[in-house]
Amino acid sequence: MPKCTIDGREVEFSAGENLIEIARRVGVEIPYFCYHPGLTVVAQCRMCAVEVEKMPKLQTACSTPAAEGMIVHTKSERAIQNQKSIMEFLLVNHPLDCPICDKSGECDLQDNSFKFGDSKMRTSEERRTYLDLDMGPVIKKNMNRCIHCTRCIRFGAEVAGVREMVAIQRGNNTEITTIDGRPLETDYAGNYADICPTGSLTLKDFRFRKRAWMLKKTATVCEGCSKGCNMEIHQDNNVIQRCVPRANLEINKYWLCDEGRFNYHYTVDRNRISFPQVSGVKATWNDAMASSKTLLKGKKVVVLLGSDLTQEEAKLMMDFAPRAFPGSSLFHYGTPGIQSPAGDAAADSFLKRKSKTSNLNGLEKLGIKGFDSIPSGTDAVVILRGGRAVIPKIDGVSTMIGIGVFQEKEAKGMKAILPGASFAEKDGTIVNYEGREQKIRRAVTPPGQSKLLSETLMLWTHSTLSPALSKEGVA
Amino acid sequence: MSGQPTGFETLYVQHFNEEARSLAYYLSKMDGYTALKKAFSMSSDAIIDEMKKSNLRGRGGAGFPTGMKWGFIPKQSTKTKYLVCNADESEPGTFKDRDIMRYTPHLLIEGMVIGGFTIGSSVGYIYIRGEYTREAKLLDAAIDEAYEKGYLGKNIMGSGFNFDLTVHRGAGAYICGEETGLLNSLEGKRGEPRVKPPFPAQSGAFGGPTIVNNVETLADVPFIINKGGEWFSKLGKLEKSGGTRLFSVSGHVNKPGVYELPSGGHTLRQIIYDVCGGVLGGKKLKAVIPGGSSAPVLTADEIDVVADIEPIMKIGSMLGSAAIMVIHEDQCMVKLIQRITKFYAHESCGQCTPCREGCQWMENIIERILHGEGKMEDLDLLMDITNNINGKTLCALGDAAAGPVASFVKKFRPEFEAYIRGEKHA
Amino acid sequence: MAKLLSEKFYGSMKKLEPRYPTKVALLLPALHAAQDELGWLSPETMEEIGEYIGIHPAQVKEVASFYTMYNLKPVGKYHLKICTNVACCLRGAYDVVEHCEKKLGIAVGQTTPDKKFTLHEEECLGACGTAPAMMLNNDYVENLDIRKMDEILEKLN
Repeated sequence: MPKCTIDGREVEFSAGENLIEIARRVGVEIPYFCYHPGLTVVAQCRMCAVEVEKMPKLQTACSTPAAEGMIVHTKSERAIQNQKSIMEFLLVNHPLDCPICDKSGECDLQDNSFKFGDSKMRTSEERRTYLDLDMGPVIKKNMNRCIHCTRCIRFGAEVAGVREMVAIQRGNNTEITTIDGRPLETDYAGNYADICPTGSLTLKDFRFRKRAWMLKKTATVCEGCSKGCNMEIHQDNNVIQRCVPRANLEINKYWLCDEGRFNYHYTVDRNRISFPQVSGVKATWNDAMASSKTLLKGKKVVVLLGSDLTQEEAKLMMDFAPRAFPGSSLFHYGTPGIQSPAGDAAADSFLKRKSKTSNLNGLEKLGIKGFDSIPSGTDAVVILRGGRAVIPKIDGVSTMIGIGVFQEKEAKGMKAILPGASFAEKDGTIVNYEGREQKIRRAVTPPGQSKLLSETLMLWTHSTLSPALSKEGVA
Repeated sequence: MSGQPTGFETLYVQHFNEEARSLAYYLSKMDGYTALKKAFSMSSDAIIDEMKKSNLRGRGGAGFPTGMKWGFIPKQSTKTKYLVCNADESEPGTFKDRDIMRYTPHLLIEGMVIGGFTIGSSVGYIYIRGEYTREAKLLDAAIDEAYEKGYLGKNIMGSGFNFDLTVHRGAGAYICGEETGLLNSLEGKRGEPRVKPPFPAQSGAFGGPTIVNNVETLADVPFIINKGGEWFSKLGKLEKSGGTRLFSVSGHVNKPGVYELPSGGHTLRQIIYDVCGGVLGGKKLKAVIPGGSSAPVLTADEIDVVADIEPIMKIGSMLGSAAIMVIHEDQCMVKLIQRITKFYAHESCGQCTPCREGCQWMENIIERILHGEGKMEDLDLLMDITNNINGKTLCALGDAAAGPVASFVKKFRPEFEAYIRGEKHA
Repeated sequence: MAKLLSEKFYGSMKKLEPRYPTKVALLLPALHAAQDELGWLSPETMEEIGEYIGIHPAQVKEVASFYTMYNLKPVGKYHLKICTNVACCLRGAYDVVEHCEKKLGIAVGQTTPDKKFTLHEEECLGACGTAPAMMLNNDYVENLDIRKMDEILEKLN
């Protein structure tokens, strides 16, 4: 492999690699704003300019492919002076509203200013201002904070496939925007906020919610469809504040769709049932458990397993069902019209899949078949649900018990609900459409008296109380 | 033209009149399309060789040897190649290409066909600044004529070579004079310069190998082919600069206009006083901008320099597009640099940080000084900003904006200080 | 939606199409032709051009707004664009601009209430040898001075 030298260290590289990435590998940070590994290189911000021996001018590291024997100095006097100067230029017009800016604490401009800028400010001119038009429900724009890196434009055009974010006017008046107040069209709009190196594009959903540095981050996988995009859940005080993509070059690269990003909302929905219920009325765990057992006793049971459940949960139920409900049959359900991975397909040309549950492939691999219709003679149905699977229409069965995550309206007609944990509240394994096993991880504890499935089944197995005897809940 | 000196061979100025425009005139009085015929009998290498011998250096401003540039086109490439004429003529002070297009459009067309033949391109565009509506129409008419008579189109003059030529109008953006900005504009995009590499010769218009040449450069080609590179080279008076050059002279001179002079044959003083009849109103000369408004300014003491690429570079400025702007004693230099800086701020494409932010910042500071709100530190700040822009931007516009400011502050500092001290007020 | 651009516009575009390897390259010519026809480029016009070329209207606007010759707002019947760049400014262009402002009763950038005149300061027009110069709609007027400007305004009024 060819070698170059960065700040005195010899580094191997492969053809076409740029200096930023090579330097990163040996722990040398070259600062930048416009560069993004998932987008084309434009070399506009000029922050990454470094000194390359035998070249008279500074070279932008993002656009300079390494060459055999190249000697690079990222901290030469000229490079450092350029970094200071770029920071100064960028701050000539940037408002100093960090105290109320949602990006503060995770802002490239702030961080690079701290690391590479000068503490003195020499501008006394009035700052440039813009009037912002609305951009739809996902993104809040604050053009005054923009540093014209054009990442958003490139993300739209190159990744999301729609040239909706554009630069209008030119020079110092350049405005980065959708035109005429049009809402963003892409289903991937949240990424605009992620890649914005300042607080120019922020998530409306996260607006003024939390300071970035308060957030505790859990690496997990999105459950929004069968793609298995990697993401992080950010929470504070056991409340999820947002989800952001986590880079996985083999699955989602750097991106996440809005459906997946905002999917977590149902877990904090006030209509989520987080206490046991009997016939639509809040009950103790003991009452609900006892009622369920009584209701199912001697019945011919069908167990429906949401394909939004983990492998561990499914396996548990496969072991449990024959013992608890002798003669029962087990099916999976999830997305109307999709009974098996064969029915799953890409839903767009980017990330989204048609199966709106995350583990269809996994349940099939465990040998569970997709639900079609209720076998004749069925008296009762036990529905297990992770939170996303769409409950199929079930005719002619009056006894239905729900275990897992349900909203009020989904629980209508159910005789009992035993509340469970959503994807954000448990650990487990899911298998994406291409057979990739990935871990989801607990970021917060389940709300109210919701229990993990393992706990619920344990309670089921060991509780002997009858409803009549119980006065206090066992939760 | 009244002031045009004689006593040396000129290629253009004797034809700069309305009758010269027609194909008939071109054929009968200017050996029209004979160079093309000759070129068809030559190999591409032989033509490039002749071009190299001519010492023709790009007339747009950079002064790059044309023959060498043509040689950069990768011969083995199977992609469609393009020859693009830069007729944006956007550097303030420059207006020579307009005369070529207005009076001798066929020279440009013939030059382009030869160029296309040489680099293996069958598609040419003339990117003309949008404001030149009349010249665009005249070019269109000349191109139609050339198609009709078989000098453009399929199998030109029985050579088997095809060449299509289209006039593409810009729409008001200085930056489209920068070749990659021009190419983006040609492709229907914002005229924002591209990151280089790749250079246009590898990947230019529509992703194909592309040569971009100035109007005058291409119009010189038929002369070179007809009379030989050596002959052309000898028209110039310096070793490395061949041919004659069209100088655009403007500002405070008695006879502004386009003059054709041997490359390196005259000093700025001779051009201003002998060719252009001296300073307007008999006033004292104060300053000269020797190569379009992006060239650092020269003081009246510096004009004994030969008006050619190297001599002017040696004294810290540039010949650029050979656009000489003359400034007399009554002109306030602070106001003038404010106007120049306003132009570059207005024309900055806005892509790269130093240019987008720096040009406007400089304009604001100068504006402030003019309005009596300047501080002495502002002059050092201005110099710092020019240093932070110079050589740090994505294209040459940054340098074009920084160079003049630095030179004005350096050479006319007392005028700035007078404003700052409150002795002068705009 | 009814088409705003004429058959002639579409005819000229069709003729131009084979001249370029991509359809997007027609954007500048299309914007010029549309403006010649309608006087300015409204959002609806740009939308129609985008549809014809097959690009998002945002892409049309991003290009149109980059170039100063495209009018994104309506202009008067006579659009005066006076160059005030170096050569013209040395030759008294600002006097001519000021005179126009006074005479027309509008500031640079404005249009007279009768929609007859729009006044703009222009950057270098490449007519520095005959400075000051201006564009009157699509044509050049050179060697301007106040007297000549008066004559022009009189003729147009």
